[in-house]
Amino acid sequence: MRDSLTNLWPQVAPLVASAERPSRYLNHEFGAVCKQDADFRLCMVYPDTYELGQPNQAVRILVNAVNARPRLAAERGFIPAPDMCDALRAAGLPIFSMESCAPFREFDVIGFTLAHELVATNVLEALDLAGIPIRAEDRAEDDPIIVAGGPCAYNPEPFTLFIDAFSIGEGEEAIPEAMELMRELRLAGAPRADILRALAAQPGWYVPSLYRVRSESEAQVAGSWLEPLEEGVPDTVVKRLYEGFAESPGWEPCVVPYAEVVHDRLSVEVLRGCARGCRFCQAGMMYRPVRERSVRNIVESVKAGLAHTGYDEVSLTSLSSTDHSQVAQILAELNGEFAGTGTRISLPSQRLDSFGVDMAGLVAGQKKGGLTFAPEAGTQRLRNVINKNVTEDDLFAAIDAAFAAGWRRCKLYFMIGLPTETDEDVKGIASLAQRAYDRAKKAVPPEQRGNVRMSVSAALFVPKAQTPFQWDGQIPPEEARRRAHLLRDSVKYKAVDVHWHDPATSFVEAVMSRGGRLASAWVEAAWKRGACFDAWTEHFNEQAWRDAADEVGLDVEAVAQTTFEPGYVMPWAHISTGASTGWLAKERRRAAEEVTTPDCTFGACSACGACPGLDSSNVLAALRVAAGSNAAGDDASAGSSEACGDAPSNARPSRRNPYISLLTVEDDCVQENAVPECGGFDKGGERR
Amino acid sequence: MTDPANFRLRVTFCKRGRLSMLSHLEIARALERAVRRAGLPYAISQGFSPHMKIAFGAALPVGVGGDSELFDLQLTRYVAPQKALAALQEASVPDLMPSAARYIEHTVPAASVAFPKSTYVARLTALPEGGVVVPETVTVVRKKKEKELAVGEFLLGAMELDSVADDGAVAQLRFKLESKPTGSLRPDILLTNCTDAAGNPLQIATITRMAQEA
Repeated sequence: MRDSLTNLWPQVAPLVASAERPSRYLNHEFGAVCKQDADFRLCMVYPDTYELGQPNQAVRILVNAVNARPRLAAERGFIPAPDMCDALRAAGLPIFSMESCAPFREFDVIGFTLAHELVATNVLEALDLAGIPIRAEDRAEDDPIIVAGGPCAYNPEPFTLFIDAFSIGEGEEAIPEAMELMRELRLAGAPRADILRALAAQPGWYVPSLYRVRSESEAQVAGSWLEPLEEGVPDTVVKRLYEGFAESPGWEPCVVPYAEVVHDRLSVEVLRGCARGCRFCQAGMMYRPVRERSVRNIVESVKAGLAHTGYDEVSLTSLSSTDHSQVAQILAELNGEFAGTGTRISLPSQRLDSFGVDMAGLVAGQKKGGLTFAPEAGTQRLRNVINKNVTEDDLFAAIDAAFAAGWRRCKLYFMIGLPTETDEDVKGIASLAQRAYDRAKKAVPPEQRGNVRMSVSAALFVPKAQTPFQWDGQIPPEEARRRAHLLRDSVKYKAVDVHWHDPATSFVEAVMSRGGRLASAWVEAAWKRGACFDAWTEHFNEQAWRDAADEVGLDVEAVAQTTFEPGYVMPWAHISTGASTGWLAKERRRAAEEVTTPDCTFGACSACGACPGLDSSNVLAALRVAAGSNAAGDDASAGSSEACGDAPSNARPSRRNPYISLLTVEDDCVQENAVPECGGFDKGGERR
Repeated sequence: MTDPANFRLRVTFCKRGRLSMLSHLEIARALERAVRRAGLPYAISQGFSPHMKIAFGAALPVGVGGDSELFDLQLTRYVAPQKALAALQEASVPDLMPSAARYIEHTVPAASVAFPKSTYVARLTALPEGGVVVPETVTVVRKKKEKELAVGEFLLGAMELDSVADDGAVAQLRFKLESKPTGSLRPDILLTNCTDAAGNPLQIATITRMAQEA
């Protein structure tokens, strides 16, 4: 705890001047807030460069949430690009925060958001550049407490050597509360171990040093690989849910960057969670239940956000924005509000079954770039296995609508190596893409047919922790390449491009996704051998990861590729998203039977366990109405979701779902003063 | 302002402090956002990709600041210049702060070409012993090709060296460069090619464009 931080800028400035893209390191953006009145500080780090990290919503949300509390302050941190890492080391300077340009070491707490598996080595790079011991066990009393959260915390084991405590779930309340608790204990002179012990007793916190790892046979009997070493340490850590999400304002102050970043626009989160139930999808499992913000909240948030930031584009973000019960009304109101101002309104994820003529018209107002759809699998059989619940007719209807409305390019996302996939399914991808291209050509005037482009992007299936497919092994990289080549050779049209991701990176992702504690030593060994910025194709160092596996004796092929019976106790069984393991196993068995499970936000509860387990429910702005193939069916077939046929069978259910509640006007804080005044929204560079 | 249908506002602003390290493109984007935050009634181009009608003055290199940089903004209706300036100032960060705004005729040449002569001041942290030696030619790399520029074609008059005492700087070098339709010589590149009498490089703290003239 300290009253002020060291400003490294005078020493850093000459390095910045000769670095690639100095604007990454300048701070002083419009909206940057440097809170002075504090004695306990968090440096919230996105473990990649500024361009990737600055647009991250977790960093924005958590920095604001901590700064809103008295005596607490939060700053942003990013990993310098490789040239700057070298320059800092050569000059003997540490990694620094943005707002104060202060050494990471001077912060009381450092938070990492683990957005994907390949950031692991960057976390080590940051700790090393900070002069903080890489391993939690080597840290001294006055070293910062290192916490982490985000998607990869749902299998935290590969990070356990480096992280003191994990925050599982949504951090809006959990992080500021934990900061206050840690501050009080530090003020009282509590040692580091006691602070971590106190954190472990809080809901949603996992402190790996307070557990013993069981043997495989013990784990299978006990139902968990980890055994608490002390009283008061939970067997299972259940994620935190931010209950107030739906009613909270969609606009909150944000930093407007100078550098061109990956998502250089205003983001307004329109809903959180997705209950479509795709069986490969981790996000669809971990953000349950679904919570929608109201039309009024969203429209007012967009207006306030654009006025305060000066952006000319807003993205209505979520896992599946077209699923919002009132998406058409939202788009219609925003289109009316911003007509003729050159403002773009974009909807990042389009569901095939909800992208009809109406939706095409609503998002067609402006310049048309490419449109992306994700059928995920090439045959209806495999789409039923993965519970994607869209049909060819949904795709063709979406293509008809999009190309008639003026789009000329479309990208289709698929996965290869999904459980039960055969060569027929791979060839099915080529067939589907070619037929989609034919449809697209038919939908445009003859003289423009030459402009029609269809591209196929295929990613290798990565089994993700906390999903029904967590028990399924990944296919080996050689087999992935064979299937990718089969796909490429099956596409006969020149206008259909095929791209696929490097299976070597997906292999590392699979090991990180499914690994236990030994994977943590593997990460450390790979980083020591030079692995860093693994998500950057030009920096990915396959050899370092291979050699590291030999060094630590980890059978990485077994971790990535072994298929277990549903019900086998996996290394992350002590972490709960709310969806029960029993339900995940049931979903895996239904996949084997090619039986689909409908989205519970459109009707019957699918009994995943998240709502009762988290004492919560889906919160919708209005009742949802299924579209496309999912709208088909009448009451006669309702509830017969067991049927398996050519089309997904999730017809409109007749049972009511007890776990759906509707947002009421009284709940909606936008009526009052939901959109914060400019109070916290400072001019960059001015100290407060 | 004689033509009431033409609301072309010329704004003077600074680029200073650490924001001197922004690129021309980053400055352009930041200024557009400041205009939108200011709530000014800016004109939008009609066409396939509508965008704000704004034009920027001659670009400054990354690392070079400016005391009186310019941009021209087309408005759709009259806003008193002082009101427009106040709104822009409210929406701007200190190191990119506008300092003046006035309407100009639509016949006035664009800010990017109207002022080819720029006066720069470089602050030095060491006094160049025996004065500054200016090279006759400077080699630059453009589109991966090396090109030799004759300094005399661009440098107007002599470089003036004065001693000063503030903020770590002990001397300043004032010089004027003219950009030609065929190309220009960047002030930072000229300075890195200058030496003291013994051939040592200059110790440069900051470079600032002080003024632009026709």
